[in-house]
Amino acid sequence: MVVAGASSSSSSSILGIASGFFSRALHSSKTSSGPPTAVHGIHVFHCPDVVGIVAKLSECIALRGGNIHSVDVFVPENKQVFYSRCEFVFHPARWPRDEINNDFMKLSKLFNAERSVVRVPYLDPKYKIAVLASKQDHCLFDLLHRWQEGRLPVDISCVISNHVRSPNTHVIRFLERHGIPYHHLPTTPRNKREDEILELVADTDFLVLARYMQILSGRFLESYGKDIINIHHGLLPSFKGGNPSKQAFDAGVKLIGATSHFVTEELDSGAIIEQMVERVSHRDTLQSFVQKSENLEKQCLAQALKSYCELQVLHCDTNKTVVF
Amino acid sequence: MVDPDKAPSLPHGVSPPLSHAQEKRSEGTEPDLDPMTLLRRTAYSSSASSSILQIAGTFFRAPHSSTAAVAGSTYGVHVFQCPDTVGIVAKLSECIASHGGNIHSVDVFVPEDRRVFYSRSEFVFDPARWPRVLMDNDFSNLSKFFNAKISIVRVPDLEPKHKIGVLASKQEHCLVDLLHEWQDGRLPVDIKCVISNHERAPNTHVIRFLERHGIPYHCLPTSPGNKREDEILNLVKDTDFLVLARYMQILSGRFLDSYGKDIINIHHGLLPSFRGGNPSKQAYDAGVKLIGATSHFVTEGLDAGPIIEQMVERVSHRDNLRSFVQKSENLEKQCLGKAIKSYCELRVLPYELKKTVVF
Repeated sequence: MVVAGASSSSSSSILGIASGFFSRALHSSKTSSGPPTAVHGIHVFHCPDVVGIVAKLSECIALRGGNIHSVDVFVPENKQVFYSRCEFVFHPARWPRDEINNDFMKLSKLFNAERSVVRVPYLDPKYKIAVLASKQDHCLFDLLHRWQEGRLPVDISCVISNHVRSPNTHVIRFLERHGIPYHHLPTTPRNKREDEILELVADTDFLVLARYMQILSGRFLESYGKDIINIHHGLLPSFKGGNPSKQAFDAGVKLIGATSHFVTEELDSGAIIEQMVERVSHRDTLQSFVQKSENLEKQCLAQALKSYCELQVLHCDTNKTVVF
Repeated sequence: MVDPDKAPSLPHGVSPPLSHAQEKRSEGTEPDLDPMTLLRRTAYSSSASSSILQIAGTFFRAPHSSTAAVAGSTYGVHVFQCPDTVGIVAKLSECIASHGGNIHSVDVFVPEDRRVFYSRSEFVFDPARWPRVLMDNDFSNLSKFFNAKISIVRVPDLEPKHKIGVLASKQEHCLVDLLHEWQDGRLPVDIKCVISNHERAPNTHVIRFLERHGIPYHCLPTSPGNKREDEILNLVKDTDFLVLARYMQILSGRFLDSYGKDIINIHHGLLPSFRGGNPSKQAYDAGVKLIGATSHFVTEGLDAGPIIEQMVERVSHRDNLRSFVQKSENLEKQCLGKAIKSYCELRVLPYELKKTVVF
């Protein structure tokens, strides 16, 4: 029987074995009954570089009948660090989920890995996220719609906002329809409501700041301890801080952009995940700068989240990322 | 001998079929130079502003210019900036049409929030019907009428090309690219000289190229105490604008005032990010996923003048500092080339304090 355990990186939710097994069996196989025939797995690995890592990783997968479909390996020129990401298909009957964990754990120890994560999207619970937003809706909407369409493989445990939204607004009705709690936590300069937020998001795997305009303190970041992805409406490191569209407009630039990045204590300075640009010209007004920017923010944040959920984003150095 | 005034004219708004000369021009090469054209070119090579059309020469040219009686086959460009009011486009276009000119392209821009008018018109005309000096007068009248801040007309085939001085330092990729584009006829300028604070030996590509084409190379090494600005000013005083092709010295406000004309710089970064030195390294250390280049007008603030053009390219974890630099150099060449071309085609106009209109 397949044990549908949690992936090593998410917190301790155990999938109901019976219901998971049967529901996935119905979904995944082309035949009418029986266990899933072939399931996709992803493994990412980050360790000090030596000869033989790829050989051992691929051998581990092949021994269990896994068939590797995609490999990305990256070893920087000037550092002895190894990053890899493998996609493979396997048969859970031949390679049960908890044994996958054990097998990779052994390799992780063997190579003294800084990070070794395996994820089987079909069997593992989706990432649980909370979304923080302020008054600007566009990124939040876009995220919610993508999620509804199944293009954002997450569970949204709640939406937190320092901006009040009345019951008849699109966002509130949407969240109600889908049973997602909305928590209104207005902030003041003195009170950022961080303890309450921490409590609400304690069970999540990562946070998404969808144009959340409050700065999270170092204390919050340490307490939460997990990744937080932000969208900045400018091409970092240009135009940090407030109203980058106006800054860009006043500067007479011909390109504007958006940046999604991990949140660190310093404002708009964490490792960049994705950047996108669009052309602007003299014909653009501040309003069209803002519109183009909002469009970019939605795409850029969505792309970053997608990459992150597919284990394509790895931390590299102190302030950079590998994005496979 | 055909009297062009008696030649049948096309109805207003109908474009003439392209003559052989026009077809060649539209392919980007020089039209065949008949002896009359050469005569006219020689007469006008001295300066852009005070060229007088020789009517006899153009008169004889008339039979060459088209296969049917036409509005004309000579291209002109007019740019205009004035306080906005009703009727400017009407008057400008009427001016052109009344002299038999046929407008091929118009860009007009009036910002939402300011009463300023910008336009750029391309038109074809027959210099026999609309002699160059009369054209200048006609536009000058309109300029006064509308109290224009800018009114420039340019007839590329009848006027000398823009004269430029190019300044470079040690990095030569932009300089080399510029010289090759010029040689290929894709950069419609006359390069008066190349000035560098970096020495180049006689057997280097740049020096041999410049010698072959008779372009003087002036090595003016600089020191913190001496930027050689007076000597540079002297060497470039006859130019129409300057190009800083990765020239790494900062030109003083005094230099800018003395020179008085436009200076275009290429900055190897996406301004306003990474001002100053080594932006590739700054970008690399910042872990950005996009790098870029910016060409802009030079003002007293470093890397702060109005931006003309920007370009980007993606970078990733697979890029090292060297590939950051290579991608950057590639962008710089393209970005500077584009900016110079736009400028020569009168597409770039100053807009508010720190911006540009680029048609």
